[in-house]
Amino acid sequence: MPTIEVEGITVEVNEEGFLAHPEEWTEETAKLLAKAEEGLDELTAEHWAVVKFIRGYYLEKNLAPMVRKMCQATGFPLMKIYDLFPSGPAKGACKVAGLPKPDGCV
Amino acid sequence: MKRRKTGPSGVVEAPLDPGTQSRARESGLASVQDGRLRTYEPGDNTRRFLDLLGSRVSRPLAVSLTACVHCGLCAESCHYFLARPDDPTMTPVWKADQIRKIFKRHLDWTGRVAPWWVKAGSPRDDEDLNRLKNIVFGTCSACRRCTYNCPMGVDTGLLVRFTRGLLTELGIVPEGVFNVSRDQWETGNQMAVSEQDYLETLEWMRDDVRTELGDDSVEIPVDREGCDILYTINPREIKFDPRSIAQAAKIFHLAGASWTMPKWGWDQTNFGLFSGDDKLGAFVARNVYEAAERLRAKRIVISECGHGYRSTRWEGYTWAGFDQKLPTESVVVTLRRYIEEGRIAVDPSRNPDAVTFHDSCNIARSGDLVEEPRDVLRGVCADFREMYPNRCENFCCTGGGGLLSMAEYRPLRLEVAKIKADQLRATGAKLVCTMCHNCIDGLNDVIKHYKLPMRVVQVLELVSNALVLPGIKAK
Repeated sequence: MPTIEVEGITVEVNEEGFLAHPEEWTEETAKLLAKAEEGLDELTAEHWAVVKFIRGYYLEKNLAPMVRKMCQATGFPLMKIYDLFPSGPAKGACKVAGLPKPDGCV
Repeated sequence: MKRRKTGPSGVVEAPLDPGTQSRARESGLASVQDGRLRTYEPGDNTRRFLDLLGSRVSRPLAVSLTACVHCGLCAESCHYFLARPDDPTMTPVWKADQIRKIFKRHLDWTGRVAPWWVKAGSPRDDEDLNRLKNIVFGTCSACRRCTYNCPMGVDTGLLVRFTRGLLTELGIVPEGVFNVSRDQWETGNQMAVSEQDYLETLEWMRDDVRTELGDDSVEIPVDREGCDILYTINPREIKFDPRSIAQAAKIFHLAGASWTMPKWGWDQTNFGLFSGDDKLGAFVARNVYEAAERLRAKRIVISECGHGYRSTRWEGYTWAGFDQKLPTESVVVTLRRYIEEGRIAVDPSRNPDAVTFHDSCNIARSGDLVEEPRDVLRGVCADFREMYPNRCENFCCTGGGGLLSMAEYRPLRLEVAKIKADQLRATGAKLVCTMCHNCIDGLNDVIKHYKLPMRVVQVLELVSNALVLPGIKAK
């Protein structure tokens, strides 16, 4: 399993950079993933709003939410999600929220 | 001839992981219970594999299995081998030989008479079958560039898909392929999107277009009968990236199109193409064809998706045993018609950046759609430039054949993507346009990994940018 390391903290990820053990996610991990995978030095309140919603949805339903749900919960327009996470909702936002890689053509 | 030094093999030794398979069995999924979705059972799998092989070899397959003269031209056409030139296991012929040797041993007279001469062989156990899985799923994106360049007409792409199909029947498949097949069997779409979520997202996009155009008459009709167009999409558009739905809706509205989307049968993608499972292929394609029949649509239009286009336009009719009564086309063909007929007005200066076009394997080589996207791009972009090689000789985005859903093979995929990266870089373009959702992610991975200063766009996005709206002056 590959790992990523930022500022001395190491986490295990799969070949696609998604967390290998989604249950081990913490806010620190989110910052780490955001920096390593999305090039985000800092997570703003807007980032956190998206990430925390995704995390909660995943814990409840064991499923990645649709982008529709992300926008509904946060009140952001669709384009805002792409502004916040350059790799988009699946490979960006869901990854930072510590979800396993969604299935399918993504 | 100077013999090349042989390097270590690039075949990834990914173990068989039936974790999600056993969960699917335990949760009593209907598709598993009634045997449509096969799961792995330890036992006499080699025997079953050989029986399946014997019962399924068709004449075109037999030709591809016997006609190879080992000339090596396929090697030069494969991006896996071009990127790992010291590794013979990356050549298409070696990959095809892994099924060819079994065919020779068990079904061909040459293997019975002189097995050592034709290198005939058998799989000994499940480990061997698993290794075969890692070869046909993990070292080939089924792009068929080798097929296109084979002087003997050997269809290595067909052999790879055939072998995948045998292994799928035994549950010896990568987890990602199993999961997506499960979702397509169970929910009718590859991302398990519920009907409610589907409808809500369509309404949401309709409202966005209404706001953008300031026009409340914009609609995304669902299940409307007697329309000219039945529009079908990739579930990824609903789940993660509905921008393309809004773009299509906007263009259909401005062109005054009579169109609808079906409530069931809207997924034009088809993992049966990747897993080699014709039964799944038939089920998913039939859903689309029956939706068109039910709604008395005059034409099926497929959103920008490579394998979906090939499956729905070409292969699906055969898998499903369905007479093709309706024209079935890519939305890019529809867009070209609208521009040609003047139904939408476009201004190429709205897309000033240099754009290059990436031909998707399943659209160009396997789908015969080559000039249509270029006609559109020349109309909507100020600086359109080809990448080389192009058209049917283009290289795969490296994520084809379902590889995007198989994380275990990603490091090799990105290593051999060097060929694609060089090709992209040489264009000097800022945008690379492709008409395939799979290629978007494949190319994005290449761009990120090789740090290319490029962005991926689709034809719909560029056309949407270039639209000259009635009553609004150009910038």
